Amino acid sequence: MPERALDGLQVVDISQGIAGPYATKLLADAGALVTKVEPPGGDYSRRLGPFPGDVPDPASSGLYHQLNTSKRGITLDVSVASGQVVLKKLLAGADVFVAGEKASTLKAWGLSYDDLKADFPDLVVAQVSPFGATGPYAEYDGNSLTAMAMSTIMYNTGEPDREPLATGGEPGEYIAGVQLWIGILATLENRAKNGGGDHVDVAMSDAVACADEYNSAMYGFQGAIRRRYYSRHIFGYPNDIMACADGHVVVIPGAGGFRSPLTPDVVSPMALLLEDPELDNNPVFTGAGERMIRWREFEELVQPYLSTHTAMEIVMTAQALRLPFAFVPTVADLLSDEHLAERHHFEHVATPGGDLTIPGQPFKMSETPLKAAPAPARGSANEQVLAGELGYSKDDLRILSDRGVI
Amino acid sequence: MSVLPLEGVRIIDFAQVFAGPACTRILADLGADVIRFESPNRLDVTRNLIITDNDGMDHTWHRASYFIIRNASKRELVVDLAKEEAREIIRKLAATADVVVESFTPRVMANFGLHYEALKEIKPDIIMCSLSGYGQYGPMRDYAGYGMGLEPASGVASITGYKDGPPMRSGLSFTDPYSGFLGAGAILTALQYRRRSGKGQYIDLSEQEAAIPIMGAALAEYQMTGRVKERMGDRSDWAAPQGCYRCAGDDRWAVISCTDDAEFGRMADAMGHREWTDDPRFATVLARRQNHDALDALITAWTSTRDHYDVMRTLQEAGVRAAPVLDGKEILFDPHFKARGQFDTVDQPLLGKRLIPRHVAAKFGRFEAKARSHAPLLGEHNAEVLKELGYSDDEIAKLQEDGSIADKPNLPVPPALIGAALRLPYDRYLEHGILQAIEPDYREQLGIAD
Repeated sequence: MPERALDGLQVVDISQGIAGPYATKLLADAGALVTKVEPPGGDYSRRLGPFPGDVPDPASSGLYHQLNTSKRGITLDVSVASGQVVLKKLLAGADVFVAGEKASTLKAWGLSYDDLKADFPDLVVAQVSPFGATGPYAEYDGNSLTAMAMSTIMYNTGEPDREPLATGGEPGEYIAGVQLWIGILATLENRAKNGGGDHVDVAMSDAVACADEYNSAMYGFQGAIRRRYYSRHIFGYPNDIMACADGHVVVIPGAGGFRSPLTPDVVSPMALLLEDPELDNNPVFTGAGERMIRWREFEELVQPYLSTHTAMEIVMTAQALRLPFAFVPTVADLLSDEHLAERHHFEHVATPGGDLTIPGQPFKMSETPLKAAPAPARGSANEQVLAGELGYSKDDLRILSDRGVI
Repeated sequence: MSVLPLEGVRIIDFAQVFAGPACTRILADLGADVIRFESPNRLDVTRNLIITDNDGMDHTWHRASYFIIRNASKRELVVDLAKEEAREIIRKLAATADVVVESFTPRVMANFGLHYEALKEIKPDIIMCSLSGYGQYGPMRDYAGYGMGLEPASGVASITGYKDGPPMRSGLSFTDPYSGFLGAGAILTALQYRRRSGKGQYIDLSEQEAAIPIMGAALAEYQMTGRVKERMGDRSDWAAPQGCYRCAGDDRWAVISCTDDAEFGRMADAMGHREWTDDPRFATVLARRQNHDALDALITAWTSTRDHYDVMRTLQEAGVRAAPVLDGKEILFDPHFKARGQFDTVDQPLLGKRLIPRHVAAKFGRFEAKARSHAPLLGEHNAEVLKELGYSDDEIAKLQEDGSIADKPNLPVPPALIGAALRLPYDRYLEHGILQAIEPDYREQLGIAD
């Protein structure tokens, strides 16, 4: 078996849902031993689905299976004292403890960093919550939508006369998960060099705010407040999704798309694409400010070409002219995409509901590639971990099980 | 001052624009010595974006806020790689480096003789990370990729938009920072491996691929049910009601999300409408999804007379998920982001004190990952870095003279022309609603005036 980047790293993860589990998936797929601790009722993501044929079955939730690859699973009720005793035994051998609860909940359970640091001085306690462990909103609840709302991204997404629009999927959860993963790795780096465990506190709201491109900078450097305008980039139109003969394409002229003062006599790549060199003499076409404001007139100039060509024709021709146009695929398109197939992007895992294709690794490492093994069935490692590693007897396990702790 | 985790780690940063610089900004804030490369013939394009307009438009490349917020905490070396002397500087620097990051399309680094195999000859345990739009191999490897195209290319735009409307982009290219964050974590993972094994490696990060998971359950849903997920505005498969509701004031909004009956009951109570929970249209989550429009109208009647922050506080105190939708000014004044230090005050040459957003979201107990220094001026650290590599003052002067190093761009037209060309017509944008407001006293309001 090839070496893995994080061989030997031990992680205990009581987080549920998306953000925390995605962070520990990135550790587990890189070789860390991640013990996923589910409440006896199962991880929250088991209830979210989707389910084969829409028949709810916590064992085969698609979201659960794509977020919990390469982990081993035990069940434990960490909200009661007997569960906390078991958990602390588990933490004795761990490098990292991951939780997705609010600070007050972890404190009530005696599992906050302050509660644990005396007994586990080298432990990294990593926590992801909607608004973080400190600050005026620490006790507030939230999700991807509340994080997107706070970040300025949402205010600037959507049509000017309609409500602001959240980005599809669960961007807040994934951004927070990635930031949690960075925080854990940074702390491990610090521990290796300077010693000692630490507290890692990630707020979903802060994580998404870190992804703001320039909204706060426009105010902090210019006093300008942007608002949503069909999700358009302040740098100009189009740079946007437009309709074509068989769907949509992203029309991006890029830095060299239009006629430049540096090359006044050359037909611009955009005019070449649209097969009309005369466009270079039209101020609505060539002027960035004009395109932004008189965008409806600009659309009239480009529609004859876009509406008579397929996305494939448009993007391939544009890219040949070094215009960074892009496709707008659906999930079905992605699953049959030749480029992604040639890169072996998607991974396939066995689940009780059958084989499932899941999003592949977000980066490819030459020496220690990440790889997903199937997610664990609920409590499938109970005996191995509790009896085999922590020394509980069969009787102990039965008692814990009867009392609903495991 | 506490020691930072990446102190002693040197990174050569060929990354440009947004994704790559966000990646190295994280590593710089964690203590790495990040030395940026720029070419005098072709500046990072973000040195032209969102020029700070405080006292004139000279030296625009030193005033670009887009560049500054992504490149704080770094040093910079400007060399002309067309010259052999310049490539020799980079090779010497590579011999002292732990990590190389780049974000060109494939082949560019090879053209300069600076691809992974070549760098590995110079420094056997080097870690190299290439961030690109579509990755280093595959039929679309040579496609030019901009962030505004890569979010759609990842599939995310296909599920972003109003119900029954066309696919939409986010209001900014957020897969750029997202893939940058992933690049930083990938490099931290590779550093862990190098510590144990002594081996470096090459990391190929495709922004398109990196963002695919953001779609959440959509991929599994298609396989398990045959449904291609539709656009649903701000609604959710997992919560009802969920939406963005108009509040008092001009274009102010708040989001509300109720994940179960109990949370809906708390919301109805907080809004003074306990009877909603007995209404058969709203009593169960399925009923609420079916009658979402009617429920939204009732919720809006309550929110539309209240300040968006009041909506959050009233509902959150009652145990309901809610948040105000903040604009680029409000986030700078928000008590949560202030208390958690989301913005660091940095003294930027020519511009004075400025607020720089964090790139590492985590708060740590033993150290703080924040902007450590201003963003570098063009070629600000040429002499400093070259001296560290053993170049003499005479040699440095000669390199400057023959154009191997530079601290000014080689511009084909006078700088004033470029400054004028870069000025976006903000007055017209204001008139057309592309901007909401321009406040000339913003520095006083922010408390960062000179």
